[in-house]
Amino acid sequence: MSSGEVSNISSYCLDEKSFHLCCKLFLQHSGVIRDGWSWADVKGSEEGYVKKTAIIPAKLGSLLNHKADDGMNAVTGVDECDDEAVGDYIVQSQVLVHYEYHILYSIGHQVPILYFRASTLDGQPLSLDEVWSNIHPNYRQRLLQGPWDTLTQQEHPFLGQPFFMLHPCHTEEFMKPLLQMADDKKRKINYITTWLSVVGPVVGLDVPLSYHTELPAPD
Amino acid sequence: MADDKDVLRDVWYGRIPACFTLYPDEVTDREAEPFYLLLPRVSYLMLVTDKVKKHFLKVVKAEDVEEMWFEYEGTPLKWHCPIGVLFDLHASNTALPWSITVHFKHFPDRDLLRCSSSALIEAHFMSTIKEADAFKHKGQVINDMQKKDHKQLWMGLQNDKFDQFWAINRKLMEYPTEDGGFRYIPFRIYQTLSDRPSIQKLFRPVSSEGHALTLGDLLKELVPDVISQDDDPKKYQVVIHGIEPLFETPIQWLSEHLSHPDNFLHICIVPAPSD
Repeated sequence: MSSGEVSNISSYCLDEKSFHLCCKLFLQHSGVIRDGWSWADVKGSEEGYVKKTAIIPAKLGSLLNHKADDGMNAVTGVDECDDEAVGDYIVQSQVLVHYEYHILYSIGHQVPILYFRASTLDGQPLSLDEVWSNIHPNYRQRLLQGPWDTLTQQEHPFLGQPFFMLHPCHTEEFMKPLLQMADDKKRKINYITTWLSVVGPVVGLDVPLSYHTELPAPD
Repeated sequence: MADDKDVLRDVWYGRIPACFTLYPDEVTDREAEPFYLLLPRVSYLMLVTDKVKKHFLKVVKAEDVEEMWFEYEGTPLKWHCPIGVLFDLHASNTALPWSITVHFKHFPDRDLLRCSSSALIEAHFMSTIKEADAFKHKGQVINDMQKKDHKQLWMGLQNDKFDQFWAINRKLMEYPTEDGGFRYIPFRIYQTLSDRPSIQKLFRPVSSEGHALTLGDLLKELVPDVISQDDDPKKYQVVIHGIEPLFETPIQWLSEHLSHPDNFLHICIVPAPSD
């Protein structure tokens, strides 16, 4: 990216202040359509995050040919170097899964990050493997090409507990054309809404269209 | 003053003597002898404890073995933090060797990340380096590197090869001379008495008037209670790699010399010993 770029969006990152503003507007609309998002304060600081919980039917299976979770030096006796492998999975059962989604601001990458965790209704957390098997097949192939670049278990920066995280490395990359397009057409968009409509569906989160049509965008 | 390059070497070769003992409730065929090991401060627990695992697997019933994890005085040890940080945070001012308890059952899923393969440690390490470079150079240096350079950083750490690691890492430590430092300093502040694992903020190494900011300036902004040490005796120690650097030390110098291989400056704030 050349630094001499003439644009009123000088960078396609999001600063912390804009993050808070976008969240505020996002939450206002969520309050109107009552889809369950709320703000969580982090005690002892001005920081916080947007959160939502949902109960979603899911399959508790595991990917047959997803070897990374098989333990140290997994020895399966099967030659698994075919990179076409997207995943036949054994469906063990269909259960209700409690999902908890958090939208946090990454000051390092200067973009929002989606954290989530999932557990069965009796509190048993889903493994990374099980989370993978519930990702829509349309995304799975793309994600498996670089599985650790995209979905990993990470410590929640505020809670200190394990969450899954969609890695922010590529966020700026896919947001840039969207923001540029909006910019060209002199349309204002809410970064959070646009971003979430890209990453949310990967993990079962849908963003109703009204967020894009009704929501006032920040200046 | 010693050559600053010696500091990098001293940091890299920092070791902590540790004694691993099996959790008493683990079912064993015979008594488990403790296992002693020198732990590299800059590495990760799950990367250097294969021998510990092998040692205890000899006595633990195979059907009782799940993922191995470690605990110190009731606190599960987070493998994704560098070993030196875990020690400084939880065991500063205690007698050596550091006594670590080994578990093979009841993995604390609410507290610890799963670590089923070294590929996960590598992914964690690389994503932390990328985050650090996002602070320092908007990620441009790490992204301009080739895959083999990334691999060399990781292999350097994994195989404890200082020269191999620093041949690449020095590029991550560069900055334009006229800037006087990185864009922002990648750091994390840990406090024992906090639920929050660590705090980080955007912090520049040079003030708007152009003078170098210090460790003291950083602490004053982020944890003012710690720096207001008029109280005598002092309540807190600010520890990096087991030492208490002077508050007057420029933060840019610390970032270049006392960062961990993940390129973050990990700062532990612990209660001062009371004696």
